[in-house]
Amino acid sequence: MARHIAHRLVISLPVLLGVLLIGFLLLQVVPTDPATVSAGPSASRADVEAIRQQMGLDKPLWMQFGRYLGRVLQFDLGRSMISNRAVSEEIALTLGPTVELMLACLTWAAPLGILLGTLAARRHGSWIDRTIMAVSVMGVSVPVFWIGLLLIQNVGGAGWLPFQGRDGPLWSLAGLKSIILPAITLGSVFVGPVARMTRTSMLETLAADYVRTARAKGISDWRVTMHHGLRNALIPVVTLIGLQIGFLLGGSVVTETMFAWPGVGRMAVGAITSSDFPLAQGAIMILAVGFLSVNLLVDLLYAWLDPRIGTARS
Amino acid sequence: MSELAVELPDSSDPRVRSTALKRIFKDPAAAAAALFLFAIIVAAIIAPWIAPSDPYANNLRLRLCPIGGARCSSLLLGADQQGRDMVSRLLFGLRSTLGLGFTAVIVGGGIGATLGLLAAYYRRLETPIMRLVDVLLSFPPILFGLAIAAVIGTGLGGLVIALCITSIPTIARISRGIAQQVMQQEYMEAGRAAGSSDLTLLWRYLAANCWPVIMIYMTLQLGQAILLGAALSFLGLGAQPPVAELGSMAADGRKFLTLAPHVSTLPCAVIFLVVLAFNVLGDALRDALDPQLRQ
Repeated sequence: MARHIAHRLVISLPVLLGVLLIGFLLLQVVPTDPATVSAGPSASRADVEAIRQQMGLDKPLWMQFGRYLGRVLQFDLGRSMISNRAVSEEIALTLGPTVELMLACLTWAAPLGILLGTLAARRHGSWIDRTIMAVSVMGVSVPVFWIGLLLIQNVGGAGWLPFQGRDGPLWSLAGLKSIILPAITLGSVFVGPVARMTRTSMLETLAADYVRTARAKGISDWRVTMHHGLRNALIPVVTLIGLQIGFLLGGSVVTETMFAWPGVGRMAVGAITSSDFPLAQGAIMILAVGFLSVNLLVDLLYAWLDPRIGTARS
Repeated sequence: MSELAVELPDSSDPRVRSTALKRIFKDPAAAAAALFLFAIIVAAIIAPWIAPSDPYANNLRLRLCPIGGARCSSLLLGADQQGRDMVSRLLFGLRSTLGLGFTAVIVGGGIGATLGLLAAYYRRLETPIMRLVDVLLSFPPILFGLAIAAVIGTGLGGLVIALCITSIPTIARISRGIAQQVMQQEYMEAGRAAGSSDLTLLWRYLAANCWPVIMIYMTLQLGQAILLGAALSFLGLGAQPPVAELGSMAADGRKFLTLAPHVSTLPCAVIFLVVLAFNVLGDALRDALDPQLRQ
């Protein structure tokens, strides 16, 4: 187990370094000279030069990268070029809504996907199975923005539910109402993959010897499905759901932008289109680091759920 | 990713290939998808000759004219926010969207396949290549799109690069799996014993026997590349207006959702149908060549 954790951490390190390098490069393409900006318009050339030395901008790039790493470790990601607020502050404001949206999506889409996948596997080959699989292929193929547009047009346009922004925290009625449409949009593309994964895993489990033994013992069909089948089938499904977080992240960037949801994804897109490099750097970095941490957690969860994984590698 | 571990039949055997093809065309959904894709790819290629009008010619009198509207009775699917013919826009949009997807999968997939084959052939290269693939795989595709758009600016160039990079790791992993099985075949041994050079063995023996299966996985990847490209363009990070591209057309039409829903709905529907067809066909191809999943 310890070896497994170490192995995962070692793999994550180059990825993290790559993320930081991208963040650093982003700050290099800023068209204005940071030293001139911070010296102010009335500064002499000697003053600008002094500030350049003070900021370390005369040093070679790799040394500047080192300084950058030091600053990032202290959560100093620079200032937004548009709002002039600290990037870390902007991230702190937007991270909550993004996590909220993802959780709201998972709470309905994951159980529904697992239910549909189990049903399809139980009735393997029947019309129920074929219908569920057809729907899930459609779910994997539909552009998430189309679902959003349809909901905005038909539900939001009719005035039934708000579709612009976040009206408050989740525990308030207004906040709850404003998250419904974004959560449906994001979750609709997630049900299909979860249903497919559950079905495959369930089919494998139901073919196992211990399931046949359970059936031979005369245990009811329903109990066999739930206790012997689903409980074992869920182990890979949990990991696969976790690994699909990256897929979900893509959907959430689009969903947040469409519904003006004040999350990290919308902030990243806004920063890129308005050339706010420090903010774009911070947003991309936090998305990447968040994704890496979730992956790591899921992997460890898998090793904990199924001890064979940890021992097989060492 | 459990489907990667299954054993593949020797796809170089013509008998296996022909039964696989027969099986695909017995499946009505897969046959329909293949026909639809064929028609749509041809339409995209010959778009400049079959489009009823110039996709960039605006006519403010026809602005947001609905499908079958009296103002634009000559236009089959109405007009967009600048009075441009929707049929022509869709045809040219399809051309850019498909072009982007194919470029990404052919270039990115080509690099990925080469890496996969090299990793299977040269034991020394296996660890560094697969580590690189692991690193690439641990980034969600959308982040490549965002990061590249941020570094080199929004536009088609960055979009193509992002889509290519995201196609590399999946294809590399699959290719290595397939190539490792081919490496165990007796004819590889025979080729080596006959004194063939590494290049001949790699190209004429290994690659030639792997590519049919790799192509199938590229088909599956195409749907994903098209969806990602459309999403990035929808966000305003890819194709820029007035370029006709389905994702950015959908985003443009969003402002007229209540007035003229067809302007954004039509491009969305086309993306959906194309990606669906690629996914249905890809699934059928995989099932046909995959003995374990077939049961």
